[in-house]
Amino acid sequence: MKVPVRLQSVTLRRVVIGLLAGLLLAVGLGWWMQVSALEEMVRDAGSRASVISLGAVRATVEAVGLEGQETQAAMVAYDEANPEVGPIRVVRFGGIRMMASTAPEDSGDQAAPRKMTREEKPFYDLGQSLRANLESNAGEARAWKEEIDVQTLDADRLALAAPVVDAVGTVAGAVLLEAEPPALRALRPSLLGALAFVGVPVLLLLGLGRLGADRPFALLVASLVLLVATLFAYGVYSGGAIRDGRRAAEGVVGERLAQEVERVSSVLVEVGVPAADVDPTDWDIDRFGQPVGLHGSGGLDPVRLEAAIDTALASRRKLLMVLGVGALMLLGFVGLGSADRLAEIVVRHHLAYGYVTPAMATMLLLVFFPFFYGITLSFTNQSIYNTDQPLSEIWVGFENYKTILTDFEVYRETELGTTPNYQNFYWTLGFTIIWTVTNVAVGVSVGLLLALILNAKGLALRPIYRVLLILPWAMPNYITALIWKGMFHSQFGVINQVIQMFGGSAISWFDTPFRAFITVLSTNGWLSFPFMMVISLGALQSIPSDLYEAARVDGAGKLQQFRFITLPSIKPALVPAVILSVVWTFNMFNIIYLVSEGQPGGSTEILITEAYKIAFEQYRYGYAAAYSTVIFLILLVYGVWQNRVTRATEGI
Amino acid sequence: MSIKSSERVSQLPIQIFLIVFTILTLYPILWVFCIALSGEQSLAIAEVPSNPTVLDRLRAILPWPEQFSWDNFRSVMTEQPFGRWVLNSAVVAGATTIAGVFLATTAGYAFSRFRFPGRRTGLMSFLVSQMFPGTLMLIPLYIIVVQWLGLGSTWIGLILVYATTSIPFCVWMLKGYFDTIPLELEESARIDGATPLQIFTRIILPLAKPAVAVTALFSFMTGWNEFILAATFMDEELMYTAPVGLRFFVGGYSQQWGYFAAGSIIVSIPVVLLFLFLQKYLVSGLTAGAVKG
Repeated sequence: MKVPVRLQSVTLRRVVIGLLAGLLLAVGLGWWMQVSALEEMVRDAGSRASVISLGAVRATVEAVGLEGQETQAAMVAYDEANPEVGPIRVVRFGGIRMMASTAPEDSGDQAAPRKMTREEKPFYDLGQSLRANLESNAGEARAWKEEIDVQTLDADRLALAAPVVDAVGTVAGAVLLEAEPPALRALRPSLLGALAFVGVPVLLLLGLGRLGADRPFALLVASLVLLVATLFAYGVYSGGAIRDGRRAAEGVVGERLAQEVERVSSVLVEVGVPAADVDPTDWDIDRFGQPVGLHGSGGLDPVRLEAAIDTALASRRKLLMVLGVGALMLLGFVGLGSADRLAEIVVRHHLAYGYVTPAMATMLLLVFFPFFYGITLSFTNQSIYNTDQPLSEIWVGFENYKTILTDFEVYRETELGTTPNYQNFYWTLGFTIIWTVTNVAVGVSVGLLLALILNAKGLALRPIYRVLLILPWAMPNYITALIWKGMFHSQFGVINQVIQMFGGSAISWFDTPFRAFITVLSTNGWLSFPFMMVISLGALQSIPSDLYEAARVDGAGKLQQFRFITLPSIKPALVPAVILSVVWTFNMFNIIYLVSEGQPGGSTEILITEAYKIAFEQYRYGYAAAYSTVIFLILLVYGVWQNRVTRATEGI
Repeated sequence: MSIKSSERVSQLPIQIFLIVFTILTLYPILWVFCIALSGEQSLAIAEVPSNPTVLDRLRAILPWPEQFSWDNFRSVMTEQPFGRWVLNSAVVAGATTIAGVFLATTAGYAFSRFRFPGRRTGLMSFLVSQMFPGTLMLIPLYIIVVQWLGLGSTWIGLILVYATTSIPFCVWMLKGYFDTIPLELEESARIDGATPLQIFTRIILPLAKPAVAVTALFSFMTGWNEFILAATFMDEELMYTAPVGLRFFVGGYSQQWGYFAAGSIIVSIPVVLLFLFLQKYLVSGLTAGAVKG
């Protein structure tokens, strides 16, 4: 019986180094995560405090209204009461008026309310864009777009803006202000504490080893237990620090909220607007206008806060778990001696690895890693709106694949009758197959025909024809695509001129799927036949002419000669060329993307242009990644199949 | 004699067919030249009157400009940012060539001359990577290069990506070529006291000149002709490459066909010449890869 793990190679030195490496990895990254989480928390609390002030100012303006002098009076009063905010500007869209401004330059004859000047156009534009976002969110009943604007001016000043809604519910203006977020000191976790989590277990293990527990198995178990226990303890310790930090930050936010409620009430009393009660529920909001919901009317809600912290810590725990697995692997790798063996191999073959490393490293970074990252993305619903969230938060499993593959609604019932659903995967797949087959058929038949003609014995000017007919292949294909798009232009395009010359009427080429298909087919046919022609011509020229003579003697006709001599002789060259051009056509992005652009309505989209549009026009990265993975699987199946076919033909 | 003349007679229909077909094939190219030399931005060759006769129609499809002018060439290079876009393309393609040749020759040499653990896996992984579809790579590459590394709208981002896309093909081709160089040459050089680096740069590379040249041209064409990645990565107008810029002239609501045509000719001439010069190698390289694949 063989022991699966070669325990005799486990020595104290290796285990200690392995434990040290594992702990440095897990605790080091964990500490760095903790530092950035705490910094983020402070930044977030600061900006939320400023957003609360923005909400307070907005509530004041909405209570006072955007009509008369009171707006300016209220803003002046508020600015005086709050030293951390200012200058404040209030813009009204109707009449393009500056209703209030506490900026020092807006005094005297520049004092608000007045008409806005040309220099103040950016304020007006910002307000209008926020209004557009608010209305678009309301229209779609979904918070897609930012409803308030927060910009960092310099080290500790923020510029904020929010739209103002009037009594009827329409967006009538905007408030813009600068604010200084409360100076919160980041709770910096001590580096010494983190280092203790690395040093103590390593020393313990060393001690254990010295004490005589240096049997391989005991050492291995001891190091495993120490690693797991330390990481667990570190998780509890750092989680506690994060919990404390978050509580302190929420305290500051809550304090600001209470201050603002008081301030707004007193300002409203001062300008003589009878406000029944100030409702601060929509002051503490995120960029998309959604309430954060931790502070109710009775102050900070501890149950919700703890729940929010628990969620945050749960995802942190998951990350620590991943780090822990990494640390365990590192411990095993070093402790069991694999690292030593690897180092030995690298030293022995250092020359070879030296030569291979540059190419391998770039391939790993820019080909293999992106490939696996893309497959990982396909299991999430990542889109442009959640790129900053960890993948574990937006994990959806096979949901994307299910949506793509189980939607068989190729035809749809609408009020216009049964119409094809061009966005359906199977429609696009069907179109891609038709596109590939017709293109390859056109390419092969035209190319072969030309090759046969050019191969005629004693043909004059052959080299000239050959060079001229190869030009379509030599041209960059995006240029070809744009040229043909121009020639198919419905009004000025040359092709419609030809049709009209023969008495026809101009055709709108991109109005029906069939006509659009004709445009892309002719473009791609034009650029793909020379390849087939060159390949076939080369193969034809290598057929010995005595074969034909022998056939003639035996009384074979032209057709029989072609069928029994020409075709079998050029097959070995033609089959790989066809296989290659199938893959090329299947992936011919430029022609579809530039000529038909998928018109009409996405009906002439092939799989990869559809995937591109999902990713870069709809910004659904996860879904597009799943779509692309399906394409990859199709190509993989094709690749395996073609491998068999080529082997079979090589056998002949 | 009589046989020859009869053959010549039978060639006539073939010649007529070939001439017509060649003219039809070359028509799009003639059309581009005609638009470029017309000095106008219109995509029509000639104006068609409201009640056109057949002759008017014929005039509108005849690829001969109504008047000749170099204006489109002059202004596309001076007034438009096209000169800058061509420069971007040249820098990107040039650097891609250098990086691609460096990466591919070193790796190809190692795979050809050394036996080391991981050699087979490495070679096979290069081959499989050719099957990854472009769009599947595009999304992660966009996230990595633009969002993480912040290299959107920069030369270096495109150069890195282009250099890697041509590596697998070039490594396989170079490995095949290095395999044909006899080992004895290296051994005798070693006896004469050459270091491994000297053997590689002084003996192997000069002997493999044709293969290195094809690698260089392949990398160059990748960098010069690529459209999708450039369109996705280059957001700033000033950083467009020539392909993205040409599309900018006639994409969307823009209809500057004169600039497009002149620019296309400027961009195409070098690659078309290179292609005609090298198509022999390309064809053999491509089909050899397909049979192996």
